[in-house]
Amino acid sequence: MIEPHALDIPTADDIRGLVRPDHVHRRAYADPAVFQLEQERIFGRLWIYVAHESQVKKPGDFVRTRLGGHEVLVTRGEDEKINVLINRCPHRGARLCMVDQGTSRLFSCPYHAWVFKPDGSLSSVPHRQSYPASFDLNDPINHMQRIKQIQTYRGFIFATLNENPAPLLNHLGAMTEVIDNLVDRAPDGEVEMGESYFSVEYRGNWKLHMENAADIFHPSFVHASSVMPARKAPANASILDQDQTREMLLANGFGFKEWEGIQLNGLPGGHAYMTNIYSNGVLVQKEADTIATQYRAALVAKVGEERTAEILGMNRFNNIVYPNLIINAQYQQMRVATPIAVDRTLVRIYCFRLKGAPDEMFHRSVRFLTTLGSPASMIFSDDIEMLERCQQGLSKDEGPWVDFSRGFDSDRRDANGMLSGAASEMPMRVQFQAWLNYLTAEAA
Amino acid sequence: MLDPTTQRQIELFLFEEARLLDSGDFQGWLKLYEPQGIYWMPSKPGQTDPLNVASIIYEDHGILSIRVQRLLEERALVLTPMPRTTHVVGNIEAEPAGQEAGEAAFKVGATFICIVHQGDKQTLYSGRHSYDLVRSGEAFRIKMKRVALMNSDATHAPMTIPL
Ligand code: FES
Ligand SMILES: [Fe+2]
Repeated sequence: MIEPHALDIPTADDIRGLVRPDHVHRRAYADPAVFQLEQERIFGRLWIYVAHESQVKKPGDFVRTRLGGHEVLVTRGEDEKINVLINRCPHRGARLCMVDQGTSRLFSCPYHAWVFKPDGSLSSVPHRQSYPASFDLNDPINHMQRIKQIQTYRGFIFATLNENPAPLLNHLGAMTEVIDNLVDRAPDGEVEMGESYFSVEYRGNWKLHMENAADIFHPSFVHASSVMPARKAPANASILDQDQTREMLLANGFGFKEWEGIQLNGLPGGHAYMTNIYSNGVLVQKEADTIATQYRAALVAKVGEERTAEILGMNRFNNIVYPNLIINAQYQQMRVATPIAVDRTLVRIYCFRLKGAPDEMFHRSVRFLTTLGSPASMIFSDDIEMLERCQQGLSKDEGPWVDFSRGFDSDRRDANGMLSGAASEMPMRVQFQAWLNYLTAEAA
Repeated sequence: MLDPTTQRQIELFLFEEARLLDSGDFQGWLKLYEPQGIYWMPSKPGQTDPLNVASIIYEDHGILSIRVQRLLEERALVLTPMPRTTHVVGNIEAEPAGQEAGEAAFKVGATFICIVHQGDKQTLYSGRHSYDLVRSGEAFRIKMKRVALMNSDATHAPMTIPL
C-alpha cells in the first residue's frame, strides 16, 4: 500500500487533460497517483455498497469487507443498529478480525486483550489498574473507528467516508428502480444473499471491469470460444440444469441483428444500464418451464396479476451503479469490483434468494453465479483475460490515448440522461464524465 | 481392503487420467467419464450441497464436453498461450462400494498437486480428489469426481485446465 502523499497528487487541470469527449488518456488506468486520487475522491467520497442486511440479521453478525482504502467490519449491534467499523485495534493498531463473516458478541484483540462490542465500543481491558486513572473506556479514541455515514436502501447497506454526503437516494437516482425490481421479484418482498460467493482477482484497473459490464460489443468476439461449442452441443445434453448453462453460453452469441432492439442508458453520476436485452433471445421463459410457472403463481398470489406482469416485465440488464456495483435483477446476481491497486482489482460475485419463491429458483440463481462468476467460468475467464491484456498495453507509455468514440455521433439525450444503441461506447463516456467531475471536485 | 491387483489397477487409472490431462488429450480424458458422470469442484471446504451453494465447477458430461471443445478447438482467449500442466496424484486409497448395474463400484480418495504453467505465470493447486468409479470390463469409468481444492474458498485468478 502506498502511503498517502507519497505521490504528487494530480491537479484538477492534470485530470481535465486526461479526458476528452471521446478519448481517455492511458494514465487514467495506469498512473498510481491518479489511483490515489480516485481512492480519495471516488471511493472516499461516494456512497459505496458494503453489505446486505440479510448477512447481518442478528446482533453480533458481521461481515468483513472494504471501504475505500480501509478494511471494515459491517456489524449488527446489540441495539439492532448497523455499524461500519475499521478493522483495527485502537490500542496498538493490530488487525482485529481475520475471517470474512461470522457471529460474535464480542471482538477481542488477541494482543493485549482489549475487548470490543459489535458497535465498536470498548467493553473491557484486562488489568484495568495498570492503565492511568484518566484512561476512559468510553472515550471514542479507545473505540474501533466508526464510519459515521451509513444508509440502507431496501436491505442494501451503503457507507461513505464523506462526513457530509448528499443523501444516498440522490446518488442512486433512477438506479433505485433496479434494487426495487430485484426485491419486488421476491413473493415475500424480501431477498436474502446466498451463502456462497466468488472472489476473483485480476491484474487490471477497476474501471476496465465496469466498462466491460457496459460493453455489448465484445461478447460475440471475446466469448466465441464458449458460444461456438454451445451451438454445436445438443439441446438438453446436460442432466443437471435444464440446459441453463448451455443457454447462458449461447446468449453471448448475439450479433448485429440482436443489437437492434437493445438500448443503453447512461445517467448523470456515472450509472448505466441496458434495456431489451435477451427479450427475444434464448433466455426467455419457455412454455413448459414449470419452475418459472410456479414462481410466477407465487408472485401473483401475493401482488396480483397486473403488478406481477410489471415486475417480471422489467428488462434491465447489467445495472451499473457508479462506481463499483453491478446488479442483475432478472437472475438475482450482483458484483462488486473493489480496487486494490492501480493494476489490481478484486471482484466479488454474489447471488440472492427470492424469499417466497420455489427453491428451484434459487438453484437457478446459484447456477448463474457459477456459470458467470466462478473463477473457472467459461465466460468470465475470457473477460478477465482481455481486461489484463488492456492493462498490460496501457501500462506502457506507448500512445497515450484510448478511443471511446464508437456511437459518438448518434447518442441522444433525454430528460434522464443519455441514450444510445447497443454498439455505442456511450456508457463509458458517461462513466468518464462522472469520473472527471468527481476527481476535479475540490470539496466533498 | 482391496486386493493388491485391483488397488494397482485403480492407481494406474488415476495416473492415466493425470497423463491425459498433462498431454492435452482432453477428449481422451472426457472418455473416462460415464455418460452421466459429474465433475465437481466445490467452492467451500466440506461443501456437500451443489444446488444451494455455488460450486467452482459442477458439470456433467454434456457441459464438460463444451468445456473440452473450448480447450481443444476454439482456443479460448484465456488459453493463449496454451497452459502446460503437471498433475501429481498420490496417497491413493480405494475401497469397494458394492455393485452398480452389475459392475463393481469403488470409492477412491487421493491427494493431488497440479502446477499450471502459462507463459511466465505459474499457479499451484493442491487438494483432495474423491472418485466414485465403476468397473467397465477391463477399464474404469468415473461416475463422480470431486476436486476439493485446499483453498477452494480463497480469492482466485481464472482457472483453465481441469485438475
Ligand atoms: S493491539 Fe489490540 S489490545 Fe493491544
Ligand atoms: Fe464478457
